[in-house]
Amino acid sequence: MAVLTFREALNQAMQEEMERDQNVFLMGEEVAEYDGAYKVSQGLLKKFGPRRIIDTPISEGGFAGIGIGAAMVGLRPIVEFMTFSFSLVAIDQIVNNAANMRYMSGGQFSVPIVFRGSSGMAGCLAATHSHRLEAWYAQIPGLTVVMPSTPANAKGLLKSAIRSDDPVVFIEHEVLYHERAEVPDGDHLIPIGKAEIKREGGDVTLITYSRSLKATLAAAETLALDGVQAEVIDLRTIRPLDLETLLTSVVKTHRAVIVEEDWPYCGLGAGISDRITQRVFDELDAPIRRVASKDAPIPYNKAMEQSMLPSVERITAAVRDVMYR
Amino acid sequence: MPIEVTMPKLSPTMETGVIAQWLVKVGDTVKEGDPLADIETDKATMQMKSYDDGVIALLDRAAGDEVALGQRVLVLAKKGEDPKAVAQSMAGAKAGGAGEKPAAKSAAAATSSNGNGKQAEPVAVEVAPGGRVKSTPLARKIAAASSVDVSRVTGSGPGGRVIRADVEAYLKAKPAAAPPLSRPAARGGERIPHTRMRKTIAQRMLAAKQAAPEIHVMIEPRVDRLVAAREELNRGLARENIKLSLGDFVTKAVAMALRAHPALNASYEPDAIVRHGDINIGIAVALDEGLIVPVLQNADQLGLREIRVQSEAIAKAARAGSLTSEQLTGGTFTISNLGMFGTRQFDAILNLPEVAILAVGAAERRPVVEGNQIVPGTVMTLNLTADHRAVDGATAALFLRTLKGMLEEPAAMLL
Repeated sequence: MAVLTFREALNQAMQEEMERDQNVFLMGEEVAEYDGAYKVSQGLLKKFGPRRIIDTPISEGGFAGIGIGAAMVGLRPIVEFMTFSFSLVAIDQIVNNAANMRYMSGGQFSVPIVFRGSSGMAGCLAATHSHRLEAWYAQIPGLTVVMPSTPANAKGLLKSAIRSDDPVVFIEHEVLYHERAEVPDGDHLIPIGKAEIKREGGDVTLITYSRSLKATLAAAETLALDGVQAEVIDLRTIRPLDLETLLTSVVKTHRAVIVEEDWPYCGLGAGISDRITQRVFDELDAPIRRVASKDAPIPYNKAMEQSMLPSVERITAAVRDVMYR
Repeated sequence: MPIEVTMPKLSPTMETGVIAQWLVKVGDTVKEGDPLADIETDKATMQMKSYDDGVIALLDRAAGDEVALGQRVLVLAKKGEDPKAVAQSMAGAKAGGAGEKPAAKSAAAATSSNGNGKQAEPVAVEVAPGGRVKSTPLARKIAAASSVDVSRVTGSGPGGRVIRADVEAYLKAKPAAAPPLSRPAARGGERIPHTRMRKTIAQRMLAAKQAAPEIHVMIEPRVDRLVAAREELNRGLARENIKLSLGDFVTKAVAMALRAHPALNASYEPDAIVRHGDINIGIAVALDEGLIVPVLQNADQLGLREIRVQSEAIAKAARAGSLTSEQLTGGTFTISNLGMFGTRQFDAILNLPEVAILAVGAAERRPVVEGNQIVPGTVMTLNLTADHRAVDGATAALFLRTLKGMLEEPAAMLL
């Protein structure tokens, strides 16, 4: 196993899939000549040429639509948004066309496309460039939403996403791009829709994903010093939700805290909390607590931005709350 | 979690305290040791001090109010808590169930009367307005599976919420429960959910039976002279529309006898027996939905006429549900009388923490041995139940001998 950065793992996944299947191609702003705004597509133009690594104008609505059309006629496009904040101008294509095409055509068309790119509060990007849109996309039937947390997951999930016959919204966190970890060589596939238990524990279930996994695992270690054994679950796929893994854990621990970087109101944790409560209400010994970003626009100021994020302190406080200690 | 401050025990014998004056107001910041109020106890006016730091969120009682031990008087918001929000959320649910009709004393009051100025956290049984016990779904599930009434479990969660650990601790403390004695009502029957009063009665009676090793001591005084004295007095009182009952004489005699036998006018507490200065007689009153024990304060200082008037007033208030907390608290000895139903004799269960209760049967004509002859006479059977942890057989017998003497020779009560 090689030690790769998160961006190298994504790059490897795309290379391997493009080598495996000639219908796969990459399209987006600066992905070719500039090797990608975040260097995720480094070297791909050289290797696969301008027919398969395509620079687009700044026109997300346009190239998202081109990608969907290409997918409908048999290609497997990867559409890169420089950041998912910019996907807002393409959301009509993603939500109305990509998500609904199989349904509205009575199964005549499928849309095997991956929309991928960076996202999240990544340091002084300010209010318009720091969006976390996972809850928006996760609400749409017809879309798969994936958010990897480690280089190995990034590779394995992106390969599965590219092979999916339906549209996948693949959201990478910008601050994770430089994370280094071991990544399995070759055909490493992680199934979509399967969460991962990152740490076992019997006292409380901590549910998280993407960048928040780090703070959550750190909080779990802090809590362990106090004798609280937290089970940490990395969702990996946001939609479809691996509810069974969550329920098994909550039935064991009888309490849950959801850690998410999106906004609290109508955020991802609200939907997850609802599903848990509906299914195992009688197992809960405390209300489900959520640690989300604060309910305000994301500030440019770095210290203020930091204070918005789910922190170890906020997570441990929420856990103590549901543990009644 | 906000701190509920209850009426502290500022004198060994106090059962209630009167708030003479508040020394704080809502919004004030207090530190541990700061005076909160001047409290008139049965002995003196004393300062009630804070055991915690915080901001006064809520004052439950006004100056002049008499408050039973363990009843909440104020709520402190702790650091980081918004006093206004605390006041809003805590305004209804008062510790000790003030405003309800407790049968005898509420569990919370009874519990905390053992402590000194307890700022209860966790509270004994916190009941939200409407009598709802806060509990988690898991706690309710475990309780239901074990046939435990969650309202009997002490909640340690926020606001007294019963959580899993509380139910488990409760089950551990109790021997394995018998299988549930529950069955659907047979045809034509009905299933009557417990009222708050029924639950309290069940809880307190069971607690008394579990905690106190009882002894029963009986006397059968001949009450011909008492009956005659009653008729004579009632003739004189007829124009005032007052009619003394035999029960009133028993109340008077018990109060006088307690003065001579303070060991029976007492409470049993874990570390001491508390002999009370006042003689306050609780009179059990049967209601449609249960029973309640209003209290005749300082009964030994009342004449028969006052005993009759006040007994009638508290019985009426009990039936109307308008008893004040003063009329419900401070009892030191209880009388339960079923004589009016023709009952000859019965046993009563202790009204803890009181150490004795007297069960009074009907006065009836019976054959009596007088010298070597059997003659008709009027006799009553009175059965004393005493807590043997505090009262020994001979102590009870001596008290009953005095009582018997007074009932057989009513003039002795004048002594």
